[in-house]
Amino acid sequence: MGFLLLAAATLLSAEAQAQDITTLLKNADRYRMSAENLQVDTQVTVFNTDGSQDKERRYTVFAQSERKSLVLMQSPMEKGQKVLMLADDFWLLMPNTQRPMRITPMQKLLGDASTGDIATMNWAGDYTGTVVGEEPCASTSTDNNTKATCLHLSLQANRKGVTYQRIELWIGKTRHEPVRADLFVQSDKLAKQARFVMDKPTNPTTVAEMVLVDQLSNKKETRIKYLARKDRTVPAEWLNPMFLARNPALE
Amino acid sequence: MGTFLLRQSVLAVLGACSLAGVAHGAEVSGQVRAAWVDRQVSDAGPLGQANQLQSGSATVEPSAATVQAELRASGSAGPFTLHAVATVQVRSPQGGSTTSDGWLNEAYASGKALGWQWSAGKKVVSWDVGYGFRPNDMVQQEVRRTLASEALSGKPLLMAEHFDAHTAWSLVWVNPLEDRSNTGAKEAALAARVYRRAGAVDWHGFARHGEHTGASIGAAASWVATDALELHASVRTYQHANSLVSVNTGTALSNANPWQATRTGAGQQVLVGGTWTHESQIGVMLEAWHDDTALSDAQWSDWTARNLALPAWLNRRVPASAVAGNLAWQGNAFGASSNLRKDNIFVRLSWQHERWQPALDVLYHPADQGYITTASVLWSGDHVKLEAGLRAHGGPDSAIVRQLPVQRQGYVVATWAF
Repeated sequence: MGFLLLAAATLLSAEAQAQDITTLLKNADRYRMSAENLQVDTQVTVFNTDGSQDKERRYTVFAQSERKSLVLMQSPMEKGQKVLMLADDFWLLMPNTQRPMRITPMQKLLGDASTGDIATMNWAGDYTGTVVGEEPCASTSTDNNTKATCLHLSLQANRKGVTYQRIELWIGKTRHEPVRADLFVQSDKLAKQARFVMDKPTNPTTVAEMVLVDQLSNKKETRIKYLARKDRTVPAEWLNPMFLARNPALE
Repeated sequence: MGTFLLRQSVLAVLGACSLAGVAHGAEVSGQVRAAWVDRQVSDAGPLGQANQLQSGSATVEPSAATVQAELRASGSAGPFTLHAVATVQVRSPQGGSTTSDGWLNEAYASGKALGWQWSAGKKVVSWDVGYGFRPNDMVQQEVRRTLASEALSGKPLLMAEHFDAHTAWSLVWVNPLEDRSNTGAKEAALAARVYRRAGAVDWHGFARHGEHTGASIGAAASWVATDALELHASVRTYQHANSLVSVNTGTALSNANPWQATRTGAGQQVLVGGTWTHESQIGVMLEAWHDDTALSDAQWSDWTARNLALPAWLNRRVPASAVAGNLAWQGNAFGASSNLRKDNIFVRLSWQHERWQPALDVLYHPADQGYITTASVLWSGDHVKLEAGLRAHGGPDSAIVRQLPVQRQGYVVATWAF
């Protein structure tokens, strides 16, 4: 009888924690994805290890509900290039071909910036995990957040096709705003470390910038700046892969 | 520079600029592209032999420097969306005079009515799932595996498209104003495609009816099998195809070009392939295809035998110009189909590392062990892209690719985008 009660209590506790995680992730997601369907103008700047600017790219992202995103490349060298992400399925259109191509999750990682970093703006639908505990928000003693306390969440992808299979995420203890994250690829190698810059440090409402530092190869720093966000639901046909070849309607 | 060419160039640019002026919220972009292509002409093969006998009897594309300016403009005017791409080009071939030219790559209007998207004008419409060969590219009929990529020029067409979340229908009347007797790229035709997404698989169905080539139907699929592996296949069966055939396959001299346009009988084109991409951003593509429109092994045997026999006429006091002319005509065989041989295997290895993308590909013909190898590297900056590459033909001396007039090519391209 005692054993049964203990097992039931454990199950209930696990379920409660799962609910907690979902709530916490939904709260954290709201700082990047303020509505179900958004148009986000994004600027990606890559810096060399010496601090000099390596490159700058601009993207328009239509982030829609049910894990659907359409990314339009806006920089001169990439103009006309588009990536469509429908949950675990991806397509690419190169402007010189006008032919939408099906690509694998691995091909999605190719290019100047991982499209997943730009287009994916929520964790709640893609990850489950546990609350590890309360920890200092700062990753190092030199960090500005030395005194603040965060909740450390350990997240595991619950579907294939996500850019990162495991995420160690630190969110604010009170407001649940994202503070920093360690991002691991499928082979469980640490790929990037992320830092989230909020619009108002004392009373944050939205993520203004995400700073990624590459940990796999070049240690370069990528700053993803969210220039503008507005509610926008795109027509269903825009999310048809073959519609990618229709140019001007999207501009 | 001829006045006509100058006028064409100016008109092409003005066309794109005026669109930008007329349309609301017009967006203009473009690029300037400077290229040098170096071609090493070979003495081997019928064209090389023809020019050895009499210089200039066979036309071989020389090395050349090219500068192209491409302007893109799009915007909306009332219920229509307008789009135009114009190119002006200055080309300086080695040993020749500099010429200039201009053309509209695309110029079309599109809009929505009755639940369908409509487009009219000159437009690029590319179909099918392959890389090295696209049997079902029924509208654009793009030349594949070109040395360096260039902006495509669209086809005159009327197009209706319907999209929902998972399905897309495209109906195209291509070359609607062309004369009914025109063939090849100018053949008037009706083409249709239906697309359906089913989870990890994209399904495509195709149909085309050409004034000259009759009916053809096709199907293609692309399947993301794993996170790293994509597999694709395409098949097309056709009633007729445009080709060239020689009316003189023996050893006798002809006094006129024996290669004549012909309409072949029914046949098939089949492609299977896949791409595999590693976490380190190394990618491998493997494709194999069969093309019934290519000349048969028997036709190439006859062709080779005639190439070997023609020079013997020089011993019979036949003027060298006549032999050279007959050898030069043999070069028509290279243009009979988009594929030289019916069976082809293509492998491409590429690696993306930060701004660099080196690649190596090989096209192999099992029928004669001939192959074409291309090595290239691309560097991409914020506004500037640099490309360079080398292409060389290899295999036994008897291989068809070894008979082509240019056996080695190199290129350097610098592109500035704005």
